[in-house]
Amino acid sequence: MRVKVISRSTDDFTRERSQDLQKVFRNYDPGLRSQEKAVEYTRALNAAKLEKIFAKPFVGAMDGHIDAISCMAKNPNHLKAIFSGSMDGDICLWDIAARKTVCQFPGHQGAVRGLATSTDGDLLVSCGVDCTVRLWKVPMLKMVDTSDHTGDNSQACTGWIETYFLHQQSSHGSMHFLITFVLTAVRGVDHQWDGNLFATAGAQVDIWDPNRSEPINSFQWGNDTVLSLRFDPGECNILITSASDRSLTLYDLRTSSPARKLIMKTRCNSVCWNPREPMNFTAANEDTNCYSFDARKLDEAKIVHKGHVSAVVFRMDIDYSPTGREFVTGSYDRTVRIFNYFGDHSREIYHTKRMQRVFCVKYTYDGTYLVSGSDDTNLRLWKSKASEQLGVLLPRERKRQEYLDAVKERYKHLPEVKRIDRHRHLPKAIYNAAKLRRTMIEAENQKAERRRKHSTPGSMPVQPFRKRRIIKEVE
Amino acid sequence: MPKKPTMRRGKPTPGPGKRRRHGPRLPTSMRRELDAMGPGPAHGSDDEEGSDAGIEDVYEYEEGVPEEEAGKNGRYDDVAKYEYEFDSDASDADEDVPSEEGEDMEEDDIDDGDDEEKQIRILQETTGMPREAFDGKKRKQALELPLQHGDGDGPVTIHDLLDNIQGKPGYSKVRKRLQQQERKTMTVLAPLPKVERDKIERKVAYKASNKELTKWEQPVKMNREATTLTFENDTNLGVNTVAAIASEFKPRTEFEKRIAEITQSAEIIEAHKNDGARILELNKIDVEDVRERQNRLAKMRSLLFRHEMKAKRVKKIKSRTYHRMLKKDKLKAASADIEADPEAVKEYARKQEFERAEERMTLRHKNTSKWSRRIIERGLTVQDEGTRAAIAAQLQKHAHLTRKMNSTKDDSSSEESSDENEDESDSEAKILNKGKEKIRKVLEEYNEIPNSGVFSLPFMERAMKKREEATYEEARQALEEYDDSLRKLEDDDTEHNEDSYKVAGKRTFGPVKNAHEEVKKRKLEDTENISDSEYDSDTARHLSNNEVITKHDDIQPGSALLDDEPQNDLYKNFSDIIKNPGPKTTFEVGMLAGDSWKKVKSSKGNGQRNVDGSTNKSKVLVPSIVDPKLKQQDHNSDSDSEEDMVEGFLTISDRKEKYELPSQADLICQAFAGDDVEAEFEKDKMDVLNEENPEPEKPALVPGWGQWTDIQQKKGLPSWMLKEHEIAKRNREEALKRRKDSKLKHVIISEHVDKKVEKYLARNLPFPYTSKDVYEQSIRMPIGPDFNPTTSISALTRPAIVKKPGVIIKPIQYEEVNPHEKPNELKRVIQRAIPNRNAKKASAKQGKRVTTQKRK
Repeated sequence: MRVKVISRSTDDFTRERSQDLQKVFRNYDPGLRSQEKAVEYTRALNAAKLEKIFAKPFVGAMDGHIDAISCMAKNPNHLKAIFSGSMDGDICLWDIAARKTVCQFPGHQGAVRGLATSTDGDLLVSCGVDCTVRLWKVPMLKMVDTSDHTGDNSQACTGWIETYFLHQQSSHGSMHFLITFVLTAVRGVDHQWDGNLFATAGAQVDIWDPNRSEPINSFQWGNDTVLSLRFDPGECNILITSASDRSLTLYDLRTSSPARKLIMKTRCNSVCWNPREPMNFTAANEDTNCYSFDARKLDEAKIVHKGHVSAVVFRMDIDYSPTGREFVTGSYDRTVRIFNYFGDHSREIYHTKRMQRVFCVKYTYDGTYLVSGSDDTNLRLWKSKASEQLGVLLPRERKRQEYLDAVKERYKHLPEVKRIDRHRHLPKAIYNAAKLRRTMIEAENQKAERRRKHSTPGSMPVQPFRKRRIIKEVE
Repeated sequence: MPKKPTMRRGKPTPGPGKRRRHGPRLPTSMRRELDAMGPGPAHGSDDEEGSDAGIEDVYEYEEGVPEEEAGKNGRYDDVAKYEYEFDSDASDADEDVPSEEGEDMEEDDIDDGDDEEKQIRILQETTGMPREAFDGKKRKQALELPLQHGDGDGPVTIHDLLDNIQGKPGYSKVRKRLQQQERKTMTVLAPLPKVERDKIERKVAYKASNKELTKWEQPVKMNREATTLTFENDTNLGVNTVAAIASEFKPRTEFEKRIAEITQSAEIIEAHKNDGARILELNKIDVEDVRERQNRLAKMRSLLFRHEMKAKRVKKIKSRTYHRMLKKDKLKAASADIEADPEAVKEYARKQEFERAEERMTLRHKNTSKWSRRIIERGLTVQDEGTRAAIAAQLQKHAHLTRKMNSTKDDSSSEESSDENEDESDSEAKILNKGKEKIRKVLEEYNEIPNSGVFSLPFMERAMKKREEATYEEARQALEEYDDSLRKLEDDDTEHNEDSYKVAGKRTFGPVKNAHEEVKKRKLEDTENISDSEYDSDTARHLSNNEVITKHDDIQPGSALLDDEPQNDLYKNFSDIIKNPGPKTTFEVGMLAGDSWKKVKSSKGNGQRNVDGSTNKSKVLVPSIVDPKLKQQDHNSDSDSEEDMVEGFLTISDRKEKYELPSQADLICQAFAGDDVEAEFEKDKMDVLNEENPEPEKPALVPGWGQWTDIQQKKGLPSWMLKEHEIAKRNREEALKRRKDSKLKHVIISEHVDKKVEKYLARNLPFPYTSKDVYEQSIRMPIGPDFNPTTSISALTRPAIVKKPGVIIKPIQYEEVNPHEKPNELKRVIQRAIPNRNAKKASAKQGKRVTTQKRK
């Protein structure tokens, strides 16, 4: 008689340490498991649901300003340091980790309109409506004690803010600023990544060297105010501006002249380059959409990112994730949205009851957090991935999460998973505004269609949306 | 541009104002002619004065120049300033015409000075800052005049420069070229309007920036196509061996410092070194020594091994008697020790003390055990002698153990000795004697037959008698065997006994006393139901006996019950049979064994028959029971086949009678006689259509108002109802027309949508995919850890972006990428996106991110 006996070597089943996991031996023959697809689909569905359950993006609010926050700058050298400028001229340095002000000081007479830091993180440039551009020396960011130390804030400030450069005598006796430039208000400032120049935008675009008192170069093309400007982080000599004549203008510092201008139907409030793709930039337009362009082919937008319901008058801000795969926008409609770099709709909408008009947003340099500054004088810290677990993950936890994400990614096209994944609760006002917008767009489309129907065939060609809002490209 | 490409006369310049020329100008054609004549006599120091004179006298006409330069209109000043701001230094390079630096220089300076004056004034007005603030530039520019004047006050010409290098090797060449150039006619085109020029400039700038940006195409494409981008810092952890860390150690605390002082003092280090050297010298080993040591070790090892083996063998021995004796031996040895060694005495005393204490605590021997309680409950008078003796012994032991310490020693020794004697005499013979005694008793009691109840019935009596006779026979036989073995025991030593005991669990050959004992015991049970077996020292065997007995009891009523038992039991039964070939067990096997077991059983039976001739009793039964069964089966199968044969024969004969040769048409008609296929299909199709696009219900009269007054009947159905019906009908027809199978007469294409399945289907093809098959292929393979080995999971589930929170990700940096580089190159830069190409192998993700930008 034959008796079947399982024989296994002890080596395979002996753990080296008592903490080791027991080995599990599986037979991966697909013939044995016919339900794997169903199993994985269910897991994907559950993962989508769990993601919704754990979606708690809001980390905290940081208050300290006494007026709306108009601009922010992140420090490329210190992950947790962020500067914010407010409408009353104050500039604050924050420690995001502790969610405290490190120091606060009166920066400008009027509103601060632009902040930028140098790549080494030692210099801060600020500009404002008081027609000054100021250069600050940033101190080493000390570890912020979470205990109470608000009392000596001012002292700390005076300790590290010093006159950086005063080459000439100036009628203005202020100690902090580098230059008083009497033109119009300065609207924006940005610093090169791979160089030590910075640029300001106002009536014209000025290029500055921090060691000189005057701009080393000035560009003007047309007489309209330049609203915002950004250096290309990958290609330090290229610069883009948006102006109030509804234009986007490309500059090349090496040729000392503007390069090209694109005129759209509405103006762009803010622009941002993709840090991982130096030819691509995204402009946040007044018509609530964001347009991604290739700087070499400006005749049409590559992608139109829709979603926001209002971006009126003042500002809609935009900042790219350092990974280049996402960008964040803050808008007048009191939401912060995250877009995929080639997604036509937002992947995430963040809002809170108390957050008012969002004037500025930043993606932190590790791509994990967002900071938004809004009308309600608060900075808010968000997670970039709403359901992400913060802190150190065990390898098994991380693997599990990776697997769930992968499964969800795989089955995201199936209706149920898709529905759960896309579902968002919105404040009533935003929901209604979005509905209204949809109706309006539909009506517009319908009207165009009807007009087309009643005009000579071919006289009204259908234009894709990515071209529709572009008027012309000026050489 | 303020600087105009003008040719000037070689006169000393009178001043900034005079430079501007007023008055009549020559028409362009004439000027061209003049130009053709050659250069003017401006260069005083030149050799070829005369030939060039005519041309030098003429200046070029330009439309826009005079007005601008004259400063008639204020607004031109602004322009001048504006331009100055933009291209203060670079403007020379922008000119379209070849400039003659020497000549222009002075004029330009003057021009600049003039303009600057104005500009400073303007700036002063607008900014309100002191004049000094804007002076810096002017001063700087004044320093930029590097040229030396050739002769006195005159303007610097190219000839002045040439004079300086007279006599140097390349001089004649340069001069010749210059002459050629001067002889050439020179027409200067009108500069383009500023707007145009700017445009051209911008075009060039855009082209340059485009070129710069295009170089990024390759890395960006690579990054986009990569399944995974890794952003992480290559943090250098530095040296990480223990030795390396230890070498870094510096004493900090007092204690550490003191120790360091001692250990690192020169003397100690020196001494250590010396010692080490000496030790090394001493370390030389003799071959002989090594061999000796090895041998010693080997010997020790073998001894150990033998000892171990012996211990194992001893441990394996299951005999209680043996162990008991072993224990006794040990005790003896111990007591011998006690006399010799005072230490051992102490040890022994301690042990005794412990035992006594234990006894006092547990009262183990004070009739507290379950067995003794039960015995006492039943009454000691009912029990047999043995039991009573055992209980008495227990009590005695208890008394002995709890006795006062003073007297223990002597008593215990005496007790021990008596015990020893008893046990020794016991050992084997006693057991056998006991068995013998019991059997005798059985035989005595055999005559006593119960007279009451069912047993008094005559047929019961008869049956009892029969059985008893059989048992009597058996018992007698057993008795004889006991005698035999007793006799044998006297001859053999204990070793032999051990062996026989050891073999007990296995197949036994020759006269086995075990089997007989069992048989005997069963008989006892059957007849008397007296459970004196508890007293038996060999409980293990007793238990096994009981098992056998119960089994037999179960079996006896009928073999049908046994069929349900699992095979294991069967095996057990078989093994039992092999162990004790009693008459009943063999019978039972016969009943049990189906056809499959037949062979096994019969062979076993044969084997046993061959082996133990002395114990074959009622084995004759076996074949007689099994064989009929077999035969029966054979009969059955035979009869079945016969019947089949008969049937086949019958049918064939039927067909033969009817057969005729039909035509083809007939055959077809016959084949499809009963069914109208086409009509059936039509009907099926209609059913499907009706199911998928149901026919609208016919309008019916509305119950309620006016029903009883004939009005509804007169008027008929309301018009809206009819209309609705019409519409529904039309809709249905349209829907039917739209169907894919509307024009295909012989086809049904179901358009039914299964809602339950729909849940698992993507509504439309996801973006990067171009065909359904590719998409389905991409999600075919599972990616989970349950379905894939660990090695491949990480590749399958790797996210598109791997980053660590807290690591600053810097913007992309350009580096020349060698397209032929090896794919498995490691991270080179401290931080950069590394497209993970290995992961591409994972087919699951293939094609997902291979995208160009999505267009709407």
